[in-house]
Amino acid sequence: MSQVLSEVLEEWKCLEEEYQKLQETHKMYLQKLDEISKLQNNCATSISHERKKLQDTSRFIKKCSKRSSEEDSKALLELELKIKTQEHVFSEMEAFLPKKNGLYLSLVLGNVNVTLFSKQAKFAYKDEYEKFKLCLTIILLLFSFICYFFVSYRFLDAILNFLLVWYYCTLTIRESILITNGSRIKGWWVFHHYISAFLSGVMLTWPDGNLYKMFRNQFLAYSLYQSFVQCLQCYYQSGCLYRLRALGERHNMDLTVEGFQSWMWKGLTFLLPFLFFGHFWQLFNSLTLFKMAQLPDCKEGQVLMCSFCFLILFVGNFFTTVAVVRQKLKSTDQKPKSM
Amino acid sequence: MLFSPTNISECVREWDDLEKGYQQMQDTHRLYKQKLEEVTKLQNSCSAAIARQRKKLKELALSLKACKEDQESRLSPKEKDSIAEIEESIKDKTNAFFEMEAFLPKKNGLYLSLVLGNINVTLLNKQAKFAYKDEYEKFKLVLTVILFVFSFMCRFLFSYRVLDALFNFLLVWYYCTLTIRESILISNGSRIKGWWVFHHYVSTFLSGVMLTWPDGALYQMFRNQFLSYNLYQSFVQFLQYYYQSGCLYRLRALGERHNMDLTVEGFQSWMWRGLSFLLPFLFFGHFWQLYNSITLFKMFQLPECKEWQVLMCGCSYMVLFMGNLYTTLRVVYQKYMNNQDKSKLL
Repeated sequence: MSQVLSEVLEEWKCLEEEYQKLQETHKMYLQKLDEISKLQNNCATSISHERKKLQDTSRFIKKCSKRSSEEDSKALLELELKIKTQEHVFSEMEAFLPKKNGLYLSLVLGNVNVTLFSKQAKFAYKDEYEKFKLCLTIILLLFSFICYFFVSYRFLDAILNFLLVWYYCTLTIRESILITNGSRIKGWWVFHHYISAFLSGVMLTWPDGNLYKMFRNQFLAYSLYQSFVQCLQCYYQSGCLYRLRALGERHNMDLTVEGFQSWMWKGLTFLLPFLFFGHFWQLFNSLTLFKMAQLPDCKEGQVLMCSFCFLILFVGNFFTTVAVVRQKLKSTDQKPKSM
Repeated sequence: MLFSPTNISECVREWDDLEKGYQQMQDTHRLYKQKLEEVTKLQNSCSAAIARQRKKLKELALSLKACKEDQESRLSPKEKDSIAEIEESIKDKTNAFFEMEAFLPKKNGLYLSLVLGNINVTLLNKQAKFAYKDEYEKFKLVLTVILFVFSFMCRFLFSYRVLDALFNFLLVWYYCTLTIRESILISNGSRIKGWWVFHHYVSTFLSGVMLTWPDGALYQMFRNQFLSYNLYQSFVQFLQYYYQSGCLYRLRALGERHNMDLTVEGFQSWMWRGLSFLLPFLFFGHFWQLYNSITLFKMFQLPECKEWQVLMCGCSYMVLFMGNLYTTLRVVYQKYMNNQDKSKLL
């Protein structure tokens, strides 16, 4: 037998041994997967079972506290506190158990489990979401810059609009996954992505014509400004969140958003005028489109629809931001009173 | 145990009992998290071992090839046998690795990474995978029926550009969602041939372009043909789903097909057993795509044609026709060759 062949046969023997080991490890792995799945079901059923009991206790306590004595009140208060703590513990446990997807994720993905099972994985996913937003915002900035200053083809505008629709849809998918994994994103910030996707879709179907050309430059300038502000937001918010997380003042799964949130008073107040300017630009877009809809040569339904969308965006953004400002003013009012 | 205390001290006592239960739950949960960590370690070691083995197997296969070529004449029959055995074994191992990896988490491909990020989409047991595949089939069926009803309404009952736009948006969303779900299925071990996935991307693009086509004389010229084509396609897809799933069920029970095989929009080799009647319907659909393409090319030559969508849709239909026809003809050709071989043996 030749030298080479005998070497090959030796190597083959070693590989066979390794392969056997691999098969055993894999079998053990599949076994452990089974055990984990049983534990998951076990934990999930006991949590829902115990939660029900917790709710019963809470109701009973509320009933009792209406007609209780002094010392009984103390005991009841203690119990209430314990119940709250236990609820919190259950929520923390559930963050690591698989759960059924909501309607939107079920439609798009089906029954894949989107719960990440370790804190690092959740955090890494959130980081990835932020990077994705930043990257796409820059691409949209460049694209709208090119469409506004350099070329003027309806075809390129259509590609920009498709990119916008795809971007907002993907954001909604990723945000649904983040919410499943424990991120607390306020309702309006998610909903306004759906509206933006719809708005971009309607812009997409607007045929080329006089009215389109009238609005085009305003729309592109607005997109340019929005992308710029979102870049600012991402950049400054992530720095601020990093600092606050290190100080333990914010939850690990808090995200950068397109609006102003209560924690942003610590150093990001300068962003407020930029945001308000953007909101009022949305109002201006809405009014421009509404005026265009009154023109005699306006036959496109898209004009009124876009006007309506921009109005909703303005109202939602403006009032959400004003609510944050009001809360801050109220809390600064109360501080001198307590001093 | 019903929790129905009648006074506060009873409540406090029952709470103490409950707290013991909570302690147990927390212990179970801690055990669960421990096992999660162990499983993650096992996953990493399995994936690394598979990657290592794959690499070594490749090198081994190359050395074997070199051995065979070098000393073809000087090998004894016993040596030739052992080489052949090893080569068979390498093939088997590669298949085994593919099966093993269906249960290990893996990095998402480009498309899924863009849309979902780093979520692991591998379903970790056979029933879950099968249930996911079933759900995909149901989704396709429900949406096909909805698209059928919608295109029927647009073709025969209403004629508004807004409804057409909604229909096109639904088509775009449907094909995008199919591509996402199919990528997940491929991660989970389904073997879907390249063209059937790619043709969903082309269909998405086509529906997107139709969406931007402004209302006008040329659009009205093509609209009815487009809607009738969609009506026919939905009908054929429904037929496909109905007959294919029954056939697949039977073949899976006989062990002749893999559990993760799916119904597709084309003709596959296993469909000769009882589904040959579908072929004419499919070919008719393919030639309708060719007809759409030629109609659009003729429209493009008209002097009043200013819309780029006409040429773009024409090209897309041509791509769809060629891909579909080629893939289907290959299956027929393979069958023909198999029959030739069989008659030679007899």
